[in-house]
Amino acid sequence: MDQNSATYEGQQMYDPKGWWDTYVFSQDHKVIALQYVCVALAIGLTGMFLSLLMRMQLGFPGLFESIDAGSYYQDVTMHGMIMVIYLLTALFLGGFGNYLIPLMLGCRDMAFPFVNMLSFWMYFLSVIILVASFFVESGPTGAGWTLYPPQSILEGTPGADGAGIILMLASLAVFIVAFTMGGLNYITTVLQSRAKGMTLMRMPLIIWCIFLATFLGLLAFPALLVGAIMLIFDRVLETSFFMPEIFKGGEVLDYGGGSPVLFQHLFWFFGHPEVYIIALPAFGIISELISVHARKNIFGYNMMVWALIAIAGIAFIVWAHHMYVAGMNPYLGFFFATTTLIIAVPTAIKVYNWVLTLWNANIKMTVPMLYCLAFLVTFLNGGLTGLFLGNVAVDVPLSDTYFVVGHFHMVMAVSPVLALFGGLYHWYPSVTGRMLDDTLGKIHFWITFVGTYLIYFPMHYIGFLGVPRRYYSNEQYDFIPQSVADLNQFITICALIVGAAQFILLYNFIKSYYKGAIAPKNPWGACTLEWQTLESPPGHGNWGEQLPVVYRWPYEYGLPEATADFVPQNVPDEQIT
Amino acid sequence: MANYSASEKAFLGLNHAQVFVYVLMTVISILFLFITNAYLFRMNFQDWAPLPIPTLLWFNTICLLLASIGMAWSKSGAKSQDHQKTKVGLAIAGVFAIAFVSGQTWAWQELNVSGYFLSSNPANTFFYLITALHAFHVLGGLVAWFMVTLKAFKGDETMLRSESVGLLGAYWHYMLLVWGVLFAMLITT
Repeated sequence: MDQNSATYEGQQMYDPKGWWDTYVFSQDHKVIALQYVCVALAIGLTGMFLSLLMRMQLGFPGLFESIDAGSYYQDVTMHGMIMVIYLLTALFLGGFGNYLIPLMLGCRDMAFPFVNMLSFWMYFLSVIILVASFFVESGPTGAGWTLYPPQSILEGTPGADGAGIILMLASLAVFIVAFTMGGLNYITTVLQSRAKGMTLMRMPLIIWCIFLATFLGLLAFPALLVGAIMLIFDRVLETSFFMPEIFKGGEVLDYGGGSPVLFQHLFWFFGHPEVYIIALPAFGIISELISVHARKNIFGYNMMVWALIAIAGIAFIVWAHHMYVAGMNPYLGFFFATTTLIIAVPTAIKVYNWVLTLWNANIKMTVPMLYCLAFLVTFLNGGLTGLFLGNVAVDVPLSDTYFVVGHFHMVMAVSPVLALFGGLYHWYPSVTGRMLDDTLGKIHFWITFVGTYLIYFPMHYIGFLGVPRRYYSNEQYDFIPQSVADLNQFITICALIVGAAQFILLYNFIKSYYKGAIAPKNPWGACTLEWQTLESPPGHGNWGEQLPVVYRWPYEYGLPEATADFVPQNVPDEQIT
Repeated sequence: MANYSASEKAFLGLNHAQVFVYVLMTVISILFLFITNAYLFRMNFQDWAPLPIPTLLWFNTICLLLASIGMAWSKSGAKSQDHQKTKVGLAIAGVFAIAFVSGQTWAWQELNVSGYFLSSNPANTFFYLITALHAFHVLGGLVAWFMVTLKAFKGDETMLRSESVGLLGAYWHYMLLVWGVLFAMLITT
């Protein structure tokens, strides 16, 4: 046996030696989770800053001379990539996944702590490579976050002649390796390391969500990896996987015969499951929070699990609805429109079940609950506009307008971020042992919630007017009325306020860490295991000498024979008082 | 060391490493599924000019087959607790896997010398990319093989158990299977 490991009941543990081992190259899942959260939030703030630069250009064209068309597209591209992959994917799976899986399942750590550590450092490396592209000559790629060839690798696109696009693709490849290492760990841990009594159908819904999202990631990211490798070949070695014959200034380039649509297929085969890689953990957080803060068992647990499995399955056969305008066979479009509408069914089941959980519940208007309610409304909004866009006939005219920007941000940016904030407020006491400030939390919530609506709701109208997305400047087009410019100014001002409001959250984090009220061991009265540890916050190894044993499902609220309104998962029937 | 009494039953009776490796194999399969899909899609375009498959590839295939047989030999040794047989099997498996990868690089050189450059035709690009991706995964297996074999020859008994050798062997057989499919696709299209 390794000298550094001690054996507790049933599992070998790696005991850290010294400061570096404990806080930097740690193999403890809780430290790794925090590392993921910190790096993801840092790069996420960068992404937010880029979006504000974009908004400045759209609201007040020409105000900043440094924002030209090239840098605008670079901001757009990096904002999208950072938010979708380096912030949300990393934070939900690397952050919440790492923290919650072992604690909620009642085990001491991930199945392979060393691989878990490697996963974080590979992720960190991918972020460094990504950030490095800001500092190379001609800057990061400005090809749009979908990186469509041929444009993404041809001279004239920002970052295409320099190293920008190569660094972007390399960073993605490293990220995928990091994700695979983490993902294999989550899958193995969920399947293998559950505490006694924690059957699959007794797992908290968030673990189901993370588990399925991980599966989606493991099966979808290879498509992106293949696409990225082939695109690097096209860019560096001048092969023609994706590059058609191209004339430039009357001369034929070396490329020829390739298919740009092939890249679109590879990209979206990854890209659509990616939506659910982000959405499922958000669903999971909402399921936990809504049950705990409404003091009521989740409605239809089994149905929830099966709906999740259905969503995860169907997520793989809807990808081409992103490509209706790419010149697709109408029959194919019909197929993908049908699957797209079908996936709304299990999603609607989930929304109904959340609403029915709230029905007649003892709803506590805590900050996490506010975020849950905001999520429900926002997700419904974004989901309904998704039904518009899922239909080919409606998508074709709307596809290149701000309607898509509005829809996308409602369903995939604001909704997951609301769930994310709710989750941060909910689990902060478990991580730090202190409560976040409630008043600051509510101020942050209301500015964020109302603000994001003021930002994204008008975009739907702008889209209906036919204002194209992706345009650097709307000034020279007769069909765009002045009112759009006014609305854009309004949106920009709202975006600045919402952006600034995020520092309230950061301030709250830091202030509460030092001066927040000491959290009781189970401040929200939750049944799940992460609140039932011996120490709070949980120490290395999570459970002291003995692993917990699970006797019930995770949503045991309002049991008639109990005096408290909840019974933790690890309390046997005979100990209920 | 494993004592699972404190936990739920292991999934399908598998141990941690097995779940890890089997899921990894699934992920790798998906990777090759996409690349072969892209290949079959791209080959229908006009500019596709298939390249002659070097005869050397048949020899390499035999090497990979022998490597797999070495692993099977090693596992049967581990089952009957014949340490010598296990080690010999491991050595055979590794040597032939190395021979396979070297043979592949040799084949690339042959093609290059005969003028089938990577970027001159999409069929060439795909050939290099697919064989390189596969060789890369064999190399990854060799890293694991190196660690297991090193420990085994140092007398680490746990490495000589049929679970460790068997899992490594599973990866070897899997790589052979993947190669079989890829090779069949390359020579028939």
